Amino acid sequence: MREELKKLETEALKEIEASSNDREALEAIRVKYLGRKGALTDIFKKIGTVSPSEKPEIGRLINIVKENVSKTLDAKSEAISKRSVKLDGVDVTLPGVAHKTGHLHPVTRTINEISDIFISLGFRVIEGPEIETEYYNFEALNIPLEHPSRDAFDTFYLKTEKEKYLLRSHTSPVQARFMEENSPPFAIIVPGRVYRPDATDASHSFMFHQIEGLVVGKDIKFSDLKGVLTIFSKQMFGSDTKMRFRPSFFPFTEPSAEVDVSCIICKGEGHCSVCGDKRWLEILGAGMVNPKVFKAVGYDPEKYTGFAFGMGVERIAMLKYGVNDIRLFYENDVRFLEQF
Amino acid sequence: MLISYNWLKEYVDVKLPPEKLADTLTMAGLSVASVKQAGGDYIIEIEVTANRPDWLYYIGVAREIAAITGKRLKVPAIDKKGPGARAQGAEIKIKVEDKSLCPRYTARIMRNVKIGASPDSFAWKLAAMGLKAVNNVVDITNFCLFETGEPLHAFDLDKISGGEVIIRKARKGEKIITIDGTEKILDETMLVIADRDKPIAIAGVMGGINTEVTASTKNILLEAAYFDPVSVRRTARKLGISTESSYRFERRVDEENIIYSSERASSLIKEMALADKGKFFDIGGKAVRKQKIILRISRLVKIIGQEISAPKAKAILSSLGVKANISSKGNIECIAPSFRYDLKNEIDLIEEVARIYGYANIPLTIPGIVEQPLRKSPAMLIESNIRRSMAASGADEIITYTLVGKGLINRAGISDEELVQIRNPLTSEQEFMPPSLITGMLGVMMWNINRKNKDLKLFEIGNVYRKKGADKFSEEKYISIGITGHTPEEWSIKPRPYDFFDLKGMVESVLRNLNITSYEFSAAESGIFSQCAVVKIKGDAIGLVGEIAGETAGNFDIKNRAYIAEIAMGPLIRNASLDNRVRELPKYPSVSRDISILIDKNISNSSIISAIRSASSPILKAISVIDRYAGENIPKEKVSLTYRLEYQDQSKTLEDKEVTEVHSKIVCALEEKLGAKLR
Repeated sequence: MREELKKLETEALKEIEASSNDREALEAIRVKYLGRKGALTDIFKKIGTVSPSEKPEIGRLINIVKENVSKTLDAKSEAISKRSVKLDGVDVTLPGVAHKTGHLHPVTRTINEISDIFISLGFRVIEGPEIETEYYNFEALNIPLEHPSRDAFDTFYLKTEKEKYLLRSHTSPVQARFMEENSPPFAIIVPGRVYRPDATDASHSFMFHQIEGLVVGKDIKFSDLKGVLTIFSKQMFGSDTKMRFRPSFFPFTEPSAEVDVSCIICKGEGHCSVCGDKRWLEILGAGMVNPKVFKAVGYDPEKYTGFAFGMGVERIAMLKYGVNDIRLFYENDVRFLEQF
Repeated sequence: MLISYNWLKEYVDVKLPPEKLADTLTMAGLSVASVKQAGGDYIIEIEVTANRPDWLYYIGVAREIAAITGKRLKVPAIDKKGPGARAQGAEIKIKVEDKSLCPRYTARIMRNVKIGASPDSFAWKLAAMGLKAVNNVVDITNFCLFETGEPLHAFDLDKISGGEVIIRKARKGEKIITIDGTEKILDETMLVIADRDKPIAIAGVMGGINTEVTASTKNILLEAAYFDPVSVRRTARKLGISTESSYRFERRVDEENIIYSSERASSLIKEMALADKGKFFDIGGKAVRKQKIILRISRLVKIIGQEISAPKAKAILSSLGVKANISSKGNIECIAPSFRYDLKNEIDLIEEVARIYGYANIPLTIPGIVEQPLRKSPAMLIESNIRRSMAASGADEIITYTLVGKGLINRAGISDEELVQIRNPLTSEQEFMPPSLITGMLGVMMWNINRKNKDLKLFEIGNVYRKKGADKFSEEKYISIGITGHTPEEWSIKPRPYDFFDLKGMVESVLRNLNITSYEFSAAESGIFSQCAVVKIKGDAIGLVGEIAGETAGNFDIKNRAYIAEIAMGPLIRNASLDNRVRELPKYPSVSRDISILIDKNISNSSIISAIRSASSPILKAISVIDRYAGENIPKEKVSLTYRLEYQDQSKTLEDKEVTEVHSKIVCALEEKLGAKLR
């Protein structure tokens, strides 16, 4: 019994010595030797087998071993507490372990950012199909067949047998589809992918994204269009952004405007790599919904007025993030994507 | 359209320096693309919108500047003797066969022209427009096109055979060599100017070389006409050409300006080429009754959101050449000038008033936009959720082109049946719409691997397109996830290759984030993958997860093993639930027990788990595989597996006895049903 005790003590102390410097390991040792089902308890249970004369002595020895193990554990535990005060021998200049998260595509990020601004202004987000009919892409939007105003909308057509289908050249067809199904008042934005047969270069892509907006009600005015787009632009490009609304022409709006913001790089000072000497950057086309468009969807233009606007997502992203080649968005080089 | 600053000043007193003028034009809707200094002149490039053909010539632009700046327009005087005799002479007959495509045709005979070079005092204007001087007569017709907006054409009268000029549709297959030296093959939809034998010009598009004015020309016929815009546009498009002339006819020339333009040109020819003015022919040209348009001031204010008085609006419209009168009701009755055929409706006049009043002077207001119940549809919210969970799991989002070549689809091992095809692709690389996101994913992997970005975790949410029978097409949203290479290299952690279970885990995290629990993966076969699993929700297949077949990977330069999943978004969205109800935290501790077994390799984890589940009681809370080993010390056909079972009771602390009872039942079941051996 004595030898057994001695052996147990040596083992326990060795184990403590060898244990790693954490409290969980020490706790496991404590349970193993001193716990309710621990080794010392087992020995104590066997005390009945010892001769009565030896009992007190064995009892005393058990207590000594118990105390020794317990004290050694405490000492070690205290040492750990002290050590954890400073990083002992750790080279803090080594890099931390990276927890790599992924990145949303800059086009998604830009769509989200733009959408969130309009959602905060009370807009709803709507989507529509990419494969469209000529009616929704053109006629319903007052873009007649065989008219020079179609030049701005060169279009991919699908190979079909009888019907004519095309890849939408702008997100505006969703406007017409939405109006056919819904009654004013409403305020919607429509993000989506569009296609135009443009040869690809640094600033042109045959596929890109647009966000379209449409607000229709009984009392919607050109001044509302100015107000809403000014809030949007300042939120998107900074509160010191200046705005310029220039007369323009779109078949589906009248009066129409091109919207420019002061160059986000030179702030309108000129001599700049982004705007050249123009000082302004064109970001949006907009206007009051042409009464002909309302008629095409069965709205009474005397009763309702509205404004619409549209912008190219890649263009906004290029300006905002300083991307100088639109192809970067579709190459998907992770060294590019991971910057967003 | 290019505008020479010096030339422009002949028509209106421009006091503004070029840069200021450019700003003023831009803010009036004549968007200036650039201002370039050229010698002592400035060339202003304006972008003219499709509705304003009256800005395609100097007098038109000057008229606009005069309106904006309050200056007077100076129009060059023409020969006061008027157009001359209108009767047809014996020497030439002019016949318009197609009056709908040519409602107005005029021609002036000029005799004894002295063909020569234009003087420098004239030629510089053509140079400013980027044109080469040809000879005085041709130069004058070009000059007048830019000055008056009316494209003119001069024929060599003596080369017109049979003494006849016929304006007719071309015959199918009829040919003409145009002045650019190329042969054009015509068809019966195209309008031509012809003599007795042959076409001598494609109406409104380009003249023929057979009647071109050359150094030896003695007499000419000067054409000024109105051709149908749609017809000219169609013809030019079919022939694949666009000329200064066709560009203007397509956008509609000012019919009332034809006589002036013709007279202006013949005056100049008389003066510069010393020609005698001969007979003048004028065919067609009925006076059109002009439509009165009413502009309601109330409507004007309602549309633009700014009070503008009737006299102010009237003054603006008058400055633009509109005949405007204030009616007894206080509205404005308008008649648009002929050069503004775009002014047809009230809204057109509202735009003009707003434009000249200045958009900058219209205030900023905020509309009372009505609340919508849902700002984003549940489908959009779920899509955002998926994007976030993908990014959180370390994947970068990609967006790939949805027009690709058939070669790419074939190289990816994807079926090329029922593809959506583009009728008018720019290149064969953009001819088809992909029926799977896997093509795009493989393409992006290749792009990156070739640039030494070898470790990739990527995802895309996008449409795939298929033909569904004759003239029916589907576009369906899918998500693809692709991984290849190794986990990131760290000084403290060894990288390991990505494997099937990394990808499966990403798919599972998407499913769990959407609170979809009723999913399962089972082994499947697919030509795209060397091995793969089909993902099912409630028994319906929603996509595949697998390792890309070696040959396909080779086609895309993928050297490490690559794993791709493609899953339909529709079923994910339908089965997702974004409602999240919190479960009560357990009050009583759980007990963990491990089971290590040796079992036949062909018994799947999912069948072991269902055996465990069916033998246990509700106190079994969770089962996880914590170790799997096959190899040394283990029979070849066997595998060693360790499962950790977690037991817990919501209402009390579990007793050892209870756990042991359930646990041994489980062990029995594994031994008896699956032939497992406890290790």
